[in-house]
Amino acid sequence: MPSLRLDGRRLDCHDGDTIASAAFRAGVRTFSRSIKAHRRRGLYCGTGDCANCLVTVDGLPGERACVMPARDGMRVERETGWPSVDRDALAINDRLHRFMPVGFYYKVFARPRWLWPIAERVIRRATGTGTLPAVVAARHTRTRFVRVHTLVIGGGVAGLAAAATAAHDRSVVLATEAALGAEVTDPAARDTIARLAAEARAAGAELLEGHTAIGIYEGPSAALLGPDELVEVEAERVIVATGAIEAHGVFPGNDLPGVWLGRGAARMAAIHNVPIGTRAVVVANTGDGAELADALRTAGTDVTLVAGRVLEARGGRQVDSITVLTPEGRRAFACDALVLSLGWAPRDTLLRMTAEPEVVGAGDVVRPGCTLAEAEASGRAAATGTADEPREADPWPITEHDGYVCVCEDVSMHDLERAWDEGWTSSEILKRYTTATMGPCQGALCSRHLAEHARAKGAAPAARGRTTARPPVRGPRLGDLIGGVHEQVERRTALHERHVAAGARMDHSGVWLRPGTYGDVADEIRAARQRVSVMDVSTLGTFLVAGRDARTLLDHVFPIDVGAIAAGRARYLLALDEAGYVMDDGLLAALADGSYFLTSTSGGADRMEAWLRNWIDRLDLHVHLVNQTAQLGAINVAGPHARDLLATLSDDDLSREALPYPGHADITVAGVPCRAIAAGFVGELSFELHHPRGRSVELWDALLAAGAAWDIRPHGLDALDVLRLEKGHVYLAQDTMPDDHPAKLGLGWAVASTKKEFIGKRALERMDALPLERRLVGLRFDGPPQRGHPLALDGAIVGRITSCAVSEAANGPVGLGWLRAVGGEFPSVLRAGEVTATVSPTPFYDPDGERLRG
Amino acid sequence: MADVHDRPVGAIVCAASPEALDRLVAPGHGARMLRVAPDETMAVVAPAFTDDVRRELEDRIAALDADALVLDVSDGWLGLALTGPDADHALSYLSALEPPVADGYVQGDVARVAAKVMREPDGLLLLVPAYWSEHVRARAIEDAGAKARRP
Repeated sequence: MPSLRLDGRRLDCHDGDTIASAAFRAGVRTFSRSIKAHRRRGLYCGTGDCANCLVTVDGLPGERACVMPARDGMRVERETGWPSVDRDALAINDRLHRFMPVGFYYKVFARPRWLWPIAERVIRRATGTGTLPAVVAARHTRTRFVRVHTLVIGGGVAGLAAAATAAHDRSVVLATEAALGAEVTDPAARDTIARLAAEARAAGAELLEGHTAIGIYEGPSAALLGPDELVEVEAERVIVATGAIEAHGVFPGNDLPGVWLGRGAARMAAIHNVPIGTRAVVVANTGDGAELADALRTAGTDVTLVAGRVLEARGGRQVDSITVLTPEGRRAFACDALVLSLGWAPRDTLLRMTAEPEVVGAGDVVRPGCTLAEAEASGRAAATGTADEPREADPWPITEHDGYVCVCEDVSMHDLERAWDEGWTSSEILKRYTTATMGPCQGALCSRHLAEHARAKGAAPAARGRTTARPPVRGPRLGDLIGGVHEQVERRTALHERHVAAGARMDHSGVWLRPGTYGDVADEIRAARQRVSVMDVSTLGTFLVAGRDARTLLDHVFPIDVGAIAAGRARYLLALDEAGYVMDDGLLAALADGSYFLTSTSGGADRMEAWLRNWIDRLDLHVHLVNQTAQLGAINVAGPHARDLLATLSDDDLSREALPYPGHADITVAGVPCRAIAAGFVGELSFELHHPRGRSVELWDALLAAGAAWDIRPHGLDALDVLRLEKGHVYLAQDTMPDDHPAKLGLGWAVASTKKEFIGKRALERMDALPLERRLVGLRFDGPPQRGHPLALDGAIVGRITSCAVSEAANGPVGLGWLRAVGGEFPSVLRAGEVTATVSPTPFYDPDGERLRG
Repeated sequence: MADVHDRPVGAIVCAASPEALDRLVAPGHGARMLRVAPDETMAVVAPAFTDDVRRELEDRIAALDADALVLDVSDGWLGLALTGPDADHALSYLSALEPPVADGYVQGDVARVAAKVMREPDGLLLLVPAYWSEHVRARAIEDAGAKARRP
């Protein structure tokens, strides 16, 4: 026989067992301890609505034992109580209740302030429901998107009738938490469900069994959590047919193990054939009493059926006697089970999540306690656009002077009274102060009681409504909610496989995956400085800017004199926003046909495109902007032998005159058409070869093969970081801050201030009139520095190192860093931890730029 | 279960005034014209006809808008075919986009990246920026349960 282990104890599992039925059959009565008072809690609703039976299954907490099917080999642990659920030392809290009234910790631990962190730790250890595992195996939940005309939530009679009717001429998805009919004890209801399910299937409805609706959102849309998928449904209409449960009864002792709601007790007896006790009393104010009693008797329980109000339940480990106010007067009963059927509470949390008219209810959720025929009619009416208006459950919840209103959060009637007397006089405020409705069941049992309490106390209509319903209805795992968003979406260049094959360490650089190093950073740097090197720079943003207004656009948005760039020449540019702050930088190359080729930083391409398109629209210009980032690959060939290398692979004129710095030309390299731009980011003679992405591999291979004559090496981001730093070039975002204007970065030279107009010009003019309070400076160190380290002057922090490296070419450790003015002057010597930093002009290497001109 | 496989495509961008694009007659060679923006259309064609279609587009649009731009951007796109009777169902695991009707296309979020989806006789064709091709291919296989197949 299959079995599971509950707290290490082996329990047999019968066919169709839930964890709860297997455990109850084996004699388990206490399934959890309450959150504050550590009172015993047994099976209560039996329908997955309350939180009494939350257990940890195979290491994952928060599973509902009453609805989770038992599986062979399952490891189940009850979650609360110390040292165990059955013998809980913290049950002493129940006797100290009067010392811990509602809201006590708001007051008791407010002073002295140092006490709260200690108290918080103690409280957290003593409360809670289960412990999240520190490590879990990653589980990937797929996300599926569905568009449908009608989404029906609920697989009972009303839901199936709605689906069957709507599916005749519309697309329909029906989601039901359990298998259809699996939790129904009434044979007539089972037959009706089978008939309607067949009709719905025949009409073409998609029936998703085992899919829990966890929320309804605007649209309307809904999230359905299935066994191995998260389904996001966009529907034109949503029909909520989630039924009703027996109303939660509030009276002293109402939370004792042995007190049941009717359907849960009937399921235990009729479906699992487990008697809920030897002597049960069914207190019924609905027409279901006799049916419940019959169901319980099938499992061998002696049942007494009475009508009336339960005044009190008594007992220790479980209920042993009750008092009921019947029409004949007070009657006491000895029993080991009390079954309540006091009225119907619509399971309407989903329905209350939205006010959209396209979301309607059907069946018990709007007509609590309706008959099978009425439920079917209600479902069919909802499908044809004539849904029933929600009707309030009748009667309102019955409450006595004490008893637990919110069993999840241990909030009693006494607590509500006390909170009210303290001045918390609306249902929403009561909720926040007492935390009633805020437990795992999300107020499924108690939200009506809270509203009723406010109403009975005379609260104004606006202050006595039901509290807001929010997703999720059930507690999903975070991994399920994440769905498909479980990874970093990375862009790869066409040379990715080449880098991996060469042993590169691939790093995430913004949205790209790029080589960090091929293994020897120092040699990669030497190759670029002394021989020749290549780098995959396909990540650069690249744009073609064409059309008769191309120059007008570029002149307007960039602070350079675009008209002064002759065809065949290129210019470094900054992109400034309206506030004059540096957004991005790049190169602008003027093409012979009057169009322009623009590059941006690797991480700035998307923003650059959006920004340019915005200005094209705002200025109403005739400009064609083509983002070529995906289309073009780019390889930077750098080093004193860069021109020599290209000459071996190209028949084009590559002389300084034909391809000057900063300039560009269309050439063919190893048979690959390239736009070669003489650029200078690494501070050596270098050519960016922009080419069709599909030919990146053959160009890369040809360059490496021909470059062997100069002992060529590819270099990665680590080497680039040093090479550009030696030239004093900034990395945007790493060396800059969002409010940097060019002068702060020492890039004032890149702004043509004589231009009449460009984006940010007026802001720069205003800022030019102000003294600089902060600027980026070059730094030399007398020891190895650390990036991010504060720069201090006489013990006061006045700056921070943003980039640093020990540089062979610059003869020692160098860096860039922020510096604040002190007394109107920028200090020149600072401390950076154990080392001294001296402000130094940049570039640190080749200050006259001779090398990059070749 | 759908099959997923690379399907090389030729892609030519034609940028011109909206009025010119409204009047532009589609070129031959089975080119599919995707109006991706009011002032931009993209012709998708079998790779063998890319140059022919580009030339045709250049000739036709020049007569309508002298300032128009025609550019072969084939290298920027990966064609990823989802084929078989379950192709639409497979797409639902990748995107909230409604599968396009015959000869139609939609564009939007597919596997969390910007892509275009075209209806093809044997299923769906996803047009994905080339730098995301590995990501979308992997998601199609893992999430959509598609079976990778060589073209």
